Amino acid sequence: MAKTSAAQHDDHAPNVKLYMGVFAALMVLTVVTVWISKFHLSIGSAVALGMFVASVKAGLVAAVFMHLWGEKKLIYYALGLTVFFGAFLVIGLIDARLTRGNVTTPMDVKAQGPAHAPAHGEAPAEAGAHH
Amino acid sequence: MSAITMENPDTHSGISNAKLGVWLFLASEIMLFATLFTTYIVLRMGSVAWPWGWDVLNVPLAMANTFVLISSSVTIVLAYVGVYNKSKSQFRLWMGATLALSFVFLAIKAVEYGAKFEHGISPATSVFYAVYFTMTGLHGLHVIGGIVLNAVLLAMSWSDDCWNDPLFLGRIEGAGLYWHFVDVVWIFLFPALYLL
Amino acid sequence: MSHDNHGHHELSFIQKYVFSVDHKVIGIQYMVTSFVFLLIGFSLMLLMRWQLAYPGQAIPFFDHLFPADLAPNGVMSGEFYNALGAMHGTIMVFLGIVPLAVGAYGNYVLPLQIGAPDMAFPRLNMASYWTYLPGGILMLSSFLMPGGAAQSGWTSYPPLSIINPGQTVWLLSRVILITSSLLGSINFLVTALNMRAPGLSLWRLPVFVWAQMVTSVLLLLAFPPLEAASILQVMDRVFHTSFYMPKDLVILGQAYHGSGGGQPLLWQHLFWFLAHPEVYVLVLPPMGIVAEIIANNTRKPLHGYKTLVFSMIAIGALSFMVWAHHMFISGMSPALGNFFLVTTMIISVPSVAILTCLIFSLKGASIRYNVPMLFALAFLPLFGIGGLTGLPLGLTVTDIYLHDTYYVIGHFHFVVVTGSIIALLGGTYYWFPKMFGRKMDDRLGLIHFWGSVVTMTGIFAPMLIMGLAGVSRRLYDPTAQLHNMSTQGLNVVSTWSAYALMLFQLPFIYNFINSIFRGEKPRDNPWDATTLEWACPSPPPHGNFEKTPRVYRGPYEYTHPDHKKDFWPQHEPS
Repeated sequence: MAKTSAAQHDDHAPNVKLYMGVFAALMVLTVVTVWISKFHLSIGSAVALGMFVASVKAGLVAAVFMHLWGEKKLIYYALGLTVFFGAFLVIGLIDARLTRGNVTTPMDVKAQGPAHAPAHGEAPAEAGAHH
Repeated sequence: MSAITMENPDTHSGISNAKLGVWLFLASEIMLFATLFTTYIVLRMGSVAWPWGWDVLNVPLAMANTFVLISSSVTIVLAYVGVYNKSKSQFRLWMGATLALSFVFLAIKAVEYGAKFEHGISPATSVFYAVYFTMTGLHGLHVIGGIVLNAVLLAMSWSDDCWNDPLFLGRIEGAGLYWHFVDVVWIFLFPALYLL
Repeated sequence: MSHDNHGHHELSFIQKYVFSVDHKVIGIQYMVTSFVFLLIGFSLMLLMRWQLAYPGQAIPFFDHLFPADLAPNGVMSGEFYNALGAMHGTIMVFLGIVPLAVGAYGNYVLPLQIGAPDMAFPRLNMASYWTYLPGGILMLSSFLMPGGAAQSGWTSYPPLSIINPGQTVWLLSRVILITSSLLGSINFLVTALNMRAPGLSLWRLPVFVWAQMVTSVLLLLAFPPLEAASILQVMDRVFHTSFYMPKDLVILGQAYHGSGGGQPLLWQHLFWFLAHPEVYVLVLPPMGIVAEIIANNTRKPLHGYKTLVFSMIAIGALSFMVWAHHMFISGMSPALGNFFLVTTMIISVPSVAILTCLIFSLKGASIRYNVPMLFALAFLPLFGIGGLTGLPLGLTVTDIYLHDTYYVIGHFHFVVVTGSIIALLGGTYYWFPKMFGRKMDDRLGLIHFWGSVVTMTGIFAPMLIMGLAGVSRRLYDPTAQLHNMSTQGLNVVSTWSAYALMLFQLPFIYNFINSIFRGEKPRDNPWDATTLEWACPSPPPHGNFEKTPRVYRGPYEYTHPDHKKDFWPQHEPS
């Protein structure tokens, strides 16, 4: 019934040197992130670089501090599932991009000119309100 | 009752109930913060103008906070080592350090917020500030939650029943997992809000 | 594997029945509470139905009960109508069906079906109930808010929901309810993964347990986005942020005072990201219940056990990818609409597979027509109608016409009322002997069954027709639109069917309460069932099983050729 053995016990033995090494790496990477952000890179590059460094840092914390490296498969499945489903939130981003400039918000209407403006004083009425 | 410990969970999956439970909880938290990040990106993409973090926020202070939080992640690991080595003094020292650093984090945050409020800036000022206050605020609430959890565990080390419970090590590990997660969120939050 | 304090000290009344950590007590607490909320939600609808059938006429009997601002001269106001509609939907979904399907039956039955002494985290279990109840009461207190209860639909779309009354309390209580669900889902998953009895591999689990596991994954991962989105809405309302409020918004001729720059569509994406998996949360556990009852009363193994399980898993996974079929005409990009059209059509396949397996299970069976089985049988065609009527809604072109008409209301009520609720009622009759050691009366059960099925159909079938005729939903006065007049008579049919449905619940309520105290006492396993929940006394003691059962075979070994009796329980050695 017990699926673990004495040998596994040693895998969990804390490696303080490793922790200190990761600590140092995290501090350095933090300085690096702040330093590169001072160069006015294009927004695309800035985001990519910034998120890349952040991912490395997060990866170190997750793998070493959170013991994810060498963790049981079930945890990987759970996290993998989470990331997979969470990724679908990106559809919200895609929609925002595809509909940019559509005549759906008053802001866009104003930008397009008076010909497209709704009738003055028209309220966004909700169906069901008693007129 | 068999000797159920963190190393010998005696469960189908080989992972203790508590550890599995904490990871599932973290999965849900990932979804929570993923939603907030998505919201940030959507609103930023749809905006006409979005300020550069360096111009409107206190980057040096936030960088200091990043150091503080990363350090607290290390101290909580050392607290775990203390329990592993069955050293009450080592555990109390490092868990105490974790708590102290957490308070420093909150204090720096309070200074940041205070400076904004003094200038009449609130979440209602613009979408940028709405995102800034909400995301850091929610993160801050999670920090407070972690403080409460860690404080309770620290207090438990004064109870022999709790300290000698074979499940105590697992509790510290669980608390550590949560705390590291809070750190990971900040690792992404800091560049996303302050540096871009 | 028994508890430390088993028999070591007597628990006080409060510890045993109020703040209990025993999953069985918590399950019954959830059950009773959710039945009460269902009744409340149903009553709200009965008020609405009067207005729909007889618009402008004073509500009989109750007209004096309402303050003048809600119902001047006893005639419901538009705002009150909207509040009733929004609260009805919210209460039924979040306070009624999910707590009943998951909190009540999941909590009670799951540990028993896997041979466990309790849930993995009993105190967390207690916390999740004691978060649900205050959350529910807070939700109801929205009626006491100045300006009235939340009246922006259960969907709470901005900008309306940001400026309408009652919404803040409603949002906060939703955050609390989501937290309760989250705690429950963690408990269920850890329990099902970790605490199964020896020999109970995943492929020997009853379908009900699989259904609860998939449901828990949905609750765990799909709810947090809505929690985040709701917090953002609270920020918009209380702190006047503009997450969802666009620029240059004009309300009743006046410019909105917020900073602008938000996006209303963002809310819709985030809301439906949860709310679509939510509907599978409403339906999967009831499907699991139907599977259990059918297996038991056909005296043969379920047809296609693996198909059933894989289909449930597929539905769970796909449910995260179909949400924007609720948003086809929202202003969302039509290209995205195509993506969701495809995924929605795909998700109908496993749903059909499940129904087909259940129907094929009847072939060649020796069917026992007891009360639970009647409910399970009724589920099949009625849920089928619900599912089929969803197809024109999933196809973008037909949805353009049908969106926000009564057709939609008819569709989802068929799946949730004649689907989920029918199955849940069947589960009540089925597991009542387990919970209380008594049987419910069969004659009253028959009256309840036939009355409910006929009246439910009477309420919702007309709605499908009305929707096709173009009648809008959330319409306070149906006669305000000329084209509605041709189907106004159907509103009367729906209304009187609804009142009759309420009357037919009275035998059930009486039966339920009376049988707890005076019902016939059956054996421990009155249905001659094979699954583990019947391998312990009825009702089970604290700790459930005297000795942890060992499992030797699959969950539905009925009429096995090698066995004399027509059922071979999972825990009986060969």
